[in-house]
Amino acid sequence: MASTACFIIVSRNDIPVYEAELGSAVKKEEAAHQHQFILHAALDIVQDLAWTTSAMFLKAMDRFNELVVSVYVTAGHTRLMLLHDSRNEDAIKSFFQEVHELYLKILLNPLYLPGSRISSSHFDTKVRALARKYL
Amino acid sequence: MEPDMSMETGSMIRIAVLPIGGPIPHQRVREYVSMLSRHTRIDLSSISSFYSEHQKSPFTHQPWESGSLRFKYMVGGAPPSPWEDFQAHRKILAVIGFCHCPASPDLDLVIDQFASVSRGYGSAVAKRLFAFSPNDEQLEEGREKENSIILFPPSDQQAQELHMLTMIQDLAATLLMEFERWVLRAESTGTILKTPLDSQSNLSSEEVIKAKKRRLARAQKTIGDYCLLAGSPVDANAHFVTAIDLARLTGDVFWHAGALEGSVCALLVDRMDERDSLLEEEVKYRYYTVIQLYKRSYLQDNAQRVSTATFELEAQLKLARRFVVKEVVELLMNASDGAKSLIDASDCLILYVEIARLFGALGYQRKAAFFSRQVAQLYLKQDNTSAAISAMQVLSLTSKAYHVQSRGTNRKQHGSLHEPGSNNAESGKINPQSIISLFESQWSTLQMVVLREILMSSVRAGDPLAAWSAAARLLRSFYPLITPAGQSGLASSLANSADRLPSGTRYSDLLMIVLHSFRIHPSQMEIIKRDPAKKDWWTDSAPSGPFIYTPFSKGGTTDSNKQELTWIVGEPVQVLVELANPCAFELMVESIYLCIHSGNFDAFPVSVNLPPNTAKVILLSGIPTKIGPVTIPGCIVHCFGVITEHLFRDVDNLLLGAAQGLVLSDPFRCCGSVKLKNVIVPTISVVPPLPLLVSYVVGGDGTTILYEGEIRDIRIRLTNAGTVPIEQAHISLSGKNQNSVMSIAHETLNSALPLKPGAEVILTVIIKAWKLSLADPDHDPSKSTSGIMRGVSKEGSNPFLVIHYAGPISHTDELSSSEASVPPGRRLVVPLHICVVQGLRFVKARLLSMEIPARISETPAQPVSLNDNSEEITVCSRIDSLVKIDPYRGSWELRLLELELSNPTDVVFDVNVSIQLNISMNDNNLAAVDHDTAEFGCPKTRIDHDCSARVLIPLEHFKLPILDNSLFAKNLLTNSSSSTERNTKAELAASISNLVSKIKVRWQSGRNSSGELNIKDAVQAALQMSVMDILLPDPLTFVFRLMNRRSRTDNIDDASQIKVMYRSSISAHEMIDLEVLIRNNTRELIRMSLSLTCRDVAGDNCIDGNNATVLWAGILTGISLEIPPLQELAHSFSLYFLVPGEYTLLAAAVIDDPNDVLRARARTDSADEPIFCRGSPFRISFSFDVIFNTVSLFKLKHEVRIIIIETKLDVDIVTKVSSEKLLNLFKINTKHCLYIFIKKYNYYDIHFT
Repeated sequence: MASTACFIIVSRNDIPVYEAELGSAVKKEEAAHQHQFILHAALDIVQDLAWTTSAMFLKAMDRFNELVVSVYVTAGHTRLMLLHDSRNEDAIKSFFQEVHELYLKILLNPLYLPGSRISSSHFDTKVRALARKYL
Repeated sequence: MEPDMSMETGSMIRIAVLPIGGPIPHQRVREYVSMLSRHTRIDLSSISSFYSEHQKSPFTHQPWESGSLRFKYMVGGAPPSPWEDFQAHRKILAVIGFCHCPASPDLDLVIDQFASVSRGYGSAVAKRLFAFSPNDEQLEEGREKENSIILFPPSDQQAQELHMLTMIQDLAATLLMEFERWVLRAESTGTILKTPLDSQSNLSSEEVIKAKKRRLARAQKTIGDYCLLAGSPVDANAHFVTAIDLARLTGDVFWHAGALEGSVCALLVDRMDERDSLLEEEVKYRYYTVIQLYKRSYLQDNAQRVSTATFELEAQLKLARRFVVKEVVELLMNASDGAKSLIDASDCLILYVEIARLFGALGYQRKAAFFSRQVAQLYLKQDNTSAAISAMQVLSLTSKAYHVQSRGTNRKQHGSLHEPGSNNAESGKINPQSIISLFESQWSTLQMVVLREILMSSVRAGDPLAAWSAAARLLRSFYPLITPAGQSGLASSLANSADRLPSGTRYSDLLMIVLHSFRIHPSQMEIIKRDPAKKDWWTDSAPSGPFIYTPFSKGGTTDSNKQELTWIVGEPVQVLVELANPCAFELMVESIYLCIHSGNFDAFPVSVNLPPNTAKVILLSGIPTKIGPVTIPGCIVHCFGVITEHLFRDVDNLLLGAAQGLVLSDPFRCCGSVKLKNVIVPTISVVPPLPLLVSYVVGGDGTTILYEGEIRDIRIRLTNAGTVPIEQAHISLSGKNQNSVMSIAHETLNSALPLKPGAEVILTVIIKAWKLSLADPDHDPSKSTSGIMRGVSKEGSNPFLVIHYAGPISHTDELSSSEASVPPGRRLVVPLHICVVQGLRFVKARLLSMEIPARISETPAQPVSLNDNSEEITVCSRIDSLVKIDPYRGSWELRLLELELSNPTDVVFDVNVSIQLNISMNDNNLAAVDHDTAEFGCPKTRIDHDCSARVLIPLEHFKLPILDNSLFAKNLLTNSSSSTERNTKAELAASISNLVSKIKVRWQSGRNSSGELNIKDAVQAALQMSVMDILLPDPLTFVFRLMNRRSRTDNIDDASQIKVMYRSSISAHEMIDLEVLIRNNTRELIRMSLSLTCRDVAGDNCIDGNNATVLWAGILTGISLEIPPLQELAHSFSLYFLVPGEYTLLAAAVIDDPNDVLRARARTDSADEPIFCRGSPFRISFSFDVIFNTVSLFKLKHEVRIIIIETKLDVDIVTKVSSEKLLNLFKINTKHCLYIFIKKYNYYDIHFT
């Protein structure tokens, strides 16, 4: 598992609907903030990049210092963003694909208002399990 | 590293601009600098007049027609760069000082100062001192020192600008000439050019040789730089090409890169206006080479001291700036990666600033914000105020990207966002996406961090307002994410900044959360529209037509959007506002009041203290001052030293978001407040003053505690507290238990009209406490012991007095604009606070019936009539005093109503039973009935608490005098009809209730509670069966009377003396003349045959038979009589009793040819059945043979009476005189008299034995 990883799902309105610190490194609040800042800034790049390719997985499309941002853009323009320091692209891609499936299940919930925060603890557990598996 | 670098920077001449002399006002500085900075590009053609060619110009290809010089003004100057030999454009080549003459009167001093300041810029080749707005003296003076100072005489803007242009052109020409000189000198003599890279003092010999080789290339490169500065790119290019070749040969990588960079610059300046792809490609290619060269020049051993990385980064930035396109992103990312290799923190700072700016230029706001924040963090690492100010400013730039702007800046945007939202809300559908975009908390973590940094930097920078705003925003938006300790830290920073803020600071950021609702008019002041055409204007415009409910007419009022409020000038109004403090510290709101912009409302500030994590509903009040509409957009809150305006609308949005789960949390719910219902902002209008009635219950507004059935007067004082007289008023009742209000003094109110302002009237309302229902929890006996429970008045069960009132129809100061609407009326609701507690309880009622034979006396027992009307004494037996003989029946048939009462309360009740008699009954003018007119009273019965008692009510005097067919009429006519049966029943019920209503059981407890027990139903049930017997008289009544007056009443002449002879018994062995009186109670003549019998104690007939003990004379059986209607007939006979004892006389009659009425009364069905009519038994007793007595009564004084008892018997008799208190036995000897003194008004029984 990578030492640093921050995973965020951003809705099409650029609002984070899910956040998770997945790294195995000792969690520091300051660092977590910095991760989010990097991911937030990377949205600008995604916004342009997403329309230039038909692929959903945009690998290492942004970086800051040693941290790399990979993004998976869904058809509904929800962005699964991962900040990581590992370079295992295939694993990251698989991670994204599986999380995407989970996210679709959340969307199918009639009580879930698309664009609002995902508060399901089940989802959280699953995502963390996937992170342990792939990252 | 320097900010704002671009590829063309190489052609710019740096000029330091310095303020000189006394302090110059900011406004002026800005004005002067802007005047200067307009001239950044000076055409060569324009400076030719100032230019004089001293020598042959080295710039052989100078484009005099199209070329230009470029100036870059460094306001405030700049420190010399260590790299200025490497790139000539890094030098400060000229110094311009400017001074504001009014601020510095001594021009010499200014000149000296400028000289000393400009000495610091050793590289400057031209110096100018501009003096603005000099006075005449200074002008005079300045003319003498024309060489050292240039005065700008005061004139209009245009002239000044022209003057400035001239001066700048002169400066440009000077610079150009200086460049020429420098180049000529450099070409001829050569110069030593060093960079920090090779400025080692201890050069080895090898390096010295190397340096010598390199010198030429470096000189060529520098000459090229000057050519560029002089605006001659072709010359520059030639020199650069040479320099590149030489540098490549000597391996001087760094200078090679520099020369290449210069050549690109020359190329760009030369082809200034062209932009073709070929050029772009060329530039790009060359720059990538430059970057590579710079990278190569990176020397590991030098890395600690000096780094060429800045140049590499600069080159990257320049390239990026040149091509503001998407692929630049990669360049910038590389540049940002290079930040770590920078040694100098300020270089890093500049790098980030540049990256941020470039991203901003690309439209990548978030990237720009990210790097701006990096800049701010670098600033914050420096520990000084100016750095903190810079940090604050940089952060405030990022606030837009992170959506943390203060309200003041984003209000417009916010408002515009709100508009579609509100439209959607009206149409009933809300697009969730549009709501989502309304909320600030999008990247809450980032927002919090940014706000915290803004707070930190502004605290350091000493900007209290910015600090306040940041702390307030943090608290307001992110309180759920901040720990209590953090919240109190924020609170203290708020307080700190509040201390430093000037008092009365207004700001638009919100701190608290305010929700509102409108208080509906208190019911006391309700306003009702008045229709002048209608008399009963208070009644609602009732729906016309037969239907109680009309869906169409009601629709308008229930539509919540059309809610309207009317406020009245000069009358305080209240609005409910809920404040929430979701934070963990106590919030002191210094004042809060309604914010009303329409200017016709005076709001009263309130100060509130909100404990942690609470919400409070407070009443904000104010007085409308002028007629017109009022809108309340929000409240003005003075808290933590800042005045803010809180708009209700914002909170509505917040709550809307909370409902959708889009906001972190609902502040009101988390504070545990009950959610207020949807608040609709009503349209409020202010109307002219109306009368105002205020009620006050005399004796206190508290609840009146009444026992069931208690009757009490409640006095209500009504005062007109308004300024307009009341001209109309109407009282009505509403609510539950309206029956309990027995009377309202309507006349009192009506007579008091018009009620002037300040006048008052007291209204009396009589209330009879209602009966507690069985479902009432108070009724539960287990609870009745707890007194507290009973003391609480239940709001729902009280009746209300509703008073509608109104002022004059046309107000006096109203203009004759003939307003269609008359001033409205008002409604005052006075709740009668009554708490009914369980009082005396009625257990059951029972009818007791018995027949007591009457005694036969000479007259139907008649109270003693005195000639003195004021006094009377009845000397009679005790039973006679209670049981009065019915003149129509002859005997006393005793019917008693027994009531059982219990007292569960803890007070004592006195019960008083009274019967109201109908006087009109006595149409036959019978004395006995007449006497008992109005009321018959029983002695009072006292019932202790927790006791039961029985009260006996004699049922008498209810008989109708005449047996009439009216009672049976309908029954007789249509006997079988069920409808008439029902009628009869109804009549019967009516007569029973009439009867029952005459019986009143009054009770009294204590000094001032009294009431009536409601026993109607129970009594009615008890009497149902036998009501006929009670009400209806018999058709015939029989009375026996003694005829022989052996002992007469002797009338003594003395008027003051009355002798009443009283026979207690009739002597045996004596012929007794008796008379039977038969009365016909019907309206028809009755024919009958009468028979009389006499029975002894054993019940045997003692008249007929062998051993008859009574002898008789006259006719006793089969007497045929005819009695006219309502008349009496007497039939005399005589009896001779042989044996002393008790005898009973009975009269019976068989009625011939009975009519239907009689049949009905006798309840017979068949017409053949004979109708018997039997009288009640009369009793005659013979106790002694002969007892003859006389009771005399003397009136001596008013106090004492004397009774004289005389006997004519031959034996002694014992007289027993007993009164209530004493019992005396007197022995009267033969033929003696007994005198007994008795007290007046006492009853005495006198018995003889």
